[in-house]
Amino acid sequence: MSAPTSPPTSSHPDHGPSSVPQSELRDLVPEPSGVGILGARAIELALAGLELYSVFVRTLYYCVRGRREKGATVQQMYEIGNRSLFFLTVVMGFIGMILVLQAGIQTKRVIPELSLLGANYLELLIRDLAASIGSLMLATRVGAGIAAEIGSMVVTEQIDALRMCAADPIDYLIKPRFLASILMSTVLGVWSAGVAIATGLLTAYVMFDLRPGTFMNFSLVTPGDVILGLTKCVAYGAAIPIVSGHSGLSTFGGSEGVGWATTRAVVNSSLAVIVLDMLISGAGFFIFPKG
Amino acid sequence: MTSAAAPPAALQEPARPPRPPARPSPGVLGAMGASFLEIAETVGGMGLLAGQVARRVFTLRLDGAEVVRNLYRMGVKSIPIVVVTALFTGVIMVLQAAPLVQRLGAYGLLGWGAGFGTLREIAPLLTALMINGRVGANNTAELGTMVVTEQIDALRVLAIDPIAFLIAPRVVAMVVTLFLATIFADTLALFGAALSGQALLGVPPRMFYNGLTGGLLGIGDITGGLVKAVVFGVVMALASCQYGLGVKGGAPGVGRAVNATVVASAAGIFVLDYLVSFTL
Repeated sequence: MSAPTSPPTSSHPDHGPSSVPQSELRDLVPEPSGVGILGARAIELALAGLELYSVFVRTLYYCVRGRREKGATVQQMYEIGNRSLFFLTVVMGFIGMILVLQAGIQTKRVIPELSLLGANYLELLIRDLAASIGSLMLATRVGAGIAAEIGSMVVTEQIDALRMCAADPIDYLIKPRFLASILMSTVLGVWSAGVAIATGLLTAYVMFDLRPGTFMNFSLVTPGDVILGLTKCVAYGAAIPIVSGHSGLSTFGGSEGVGWATTRAVVNSSLAVIVLDMLISGAGFFIFPKG
Repeated sequence: MTSAAAPPAALQEPARPPRPPARPSPGVLGAMGASFLEIAETVGGMGLLAGQVARRVFTLRLDGAEVVRNLYRMGVKSIPIVVVTALFTGVIMVLQAAPLVQRLGAYGLLGWGAGFGTLREIAPLLTALMINGRVGANNTAELGTMVVTEQIDALRVLAIDPIAFLIAPRVVAMVVTLFLATIFADTLALFGAALSGQALLGVPPRMFYNGLTGGLLGIGDITGGLVKAVVFGVVMALASCQYGLGVKGGAPGVGRAVNATVVASAAGIFVLDYLVSFTL
């Protein structure tokens, strides 16, 4: 965005001085086309990335230096963790059943021997799926919740009131959510793995007559897998409140704006989970080589 | 009040109704029952809405221009997210399959593994989740804003059927969007998987392609995924419209409704995913 004091390059025709004719402005600022659109998008993306980075750094700063408000983090832990427990249990339960069912059916097409199904399933679950799918769900639920809450505060000018009281909304609102989310996403990641293992075990027993003892084969799970899984949980837990808190804080307009902010929070925090998954899995592929 | 002259009846304080006994805080069973009733109410509402929409769709009483506008808004505008998600998903699938493939030396089966995972599960599921976040949430927000600002009532006053004008086009557009986006995501995810298979495991794309078309995968795998996409589309559309029309209480109400719809659709998607996988 250019400086608003120079009318010829102003990108807001309606804010420009009325003495400048509309047509002349359009000549000076042509409609972006082709490369222009791409460039505008790239700049937008870079600016958004910069803002996210700034929110992240300020959150980290306040984690160390900020005021401590008693009970705020605990309350957020309840909101983020306990309130998501039922949803996450349902989703991970079904995920466990789906994965074992599909993997069993497909493996039967190639080799009629399913004794390694459990071992491979546990490895995959612990290294990636428990953390990633669980956090994708958490991104949906928690991200939407954070953005809707902070967005409503912005719309009703409560954030401005906070700033008037010399309380930085990042310190006051985002920091507790950040701390709570990191802790609870790790706890919920472990819980997700447990639920998915339990339902997978049941499915394997009912559908493929696989004995639980054969299924619970942890021989393929290495310490590297566990470290990767927990790293993912922490990374997702950190990313979700930052991304959705940022989109909540940048809400504008009335109830429609809150809707937009929520949408953006869900999409962006899901994308953040997927991108982080790829980055961490890629790093893990080289740091903990297998086989 | 000890005086003998009692005040006339009209001046006496009206007899207070007995205060209702303080509600006992619901126990675990009570809370479970309450949330169960809530879920049943939502699902029932969605069923009724589905009936009303189906009646309009089959008698072709839906607004064509709105369908086109919604297709653009939901479909065309979602392409960037679908592209990014699908490409990254393909890479992640290969990364996760890599140890298994290396251990067994089954490089020729990489195409098959990535193929069945993508076509049957991952592509429909992740596409639905991403579109749920973008389109479903947006849909609820838009309808909720209309409800809060009484635009739905205005439509009724103008004798315009809100279901035929607002809801049915959205449902149709969302189902079509999800169907097409899943085909798109299938292709792109396999493309990403083939590229990363070559980069990480040294599996040439030719071998990947042979594994994909080597006879272990049939047309059933593709149609199964597409059936899922349609089912997810119907559920997401109905849930988002149902929650959007039920918004109460201004901007915070819209935020709460969006939150609820995203969660409900995601849970519905996973439950139906299992049911469809099980029956197909």
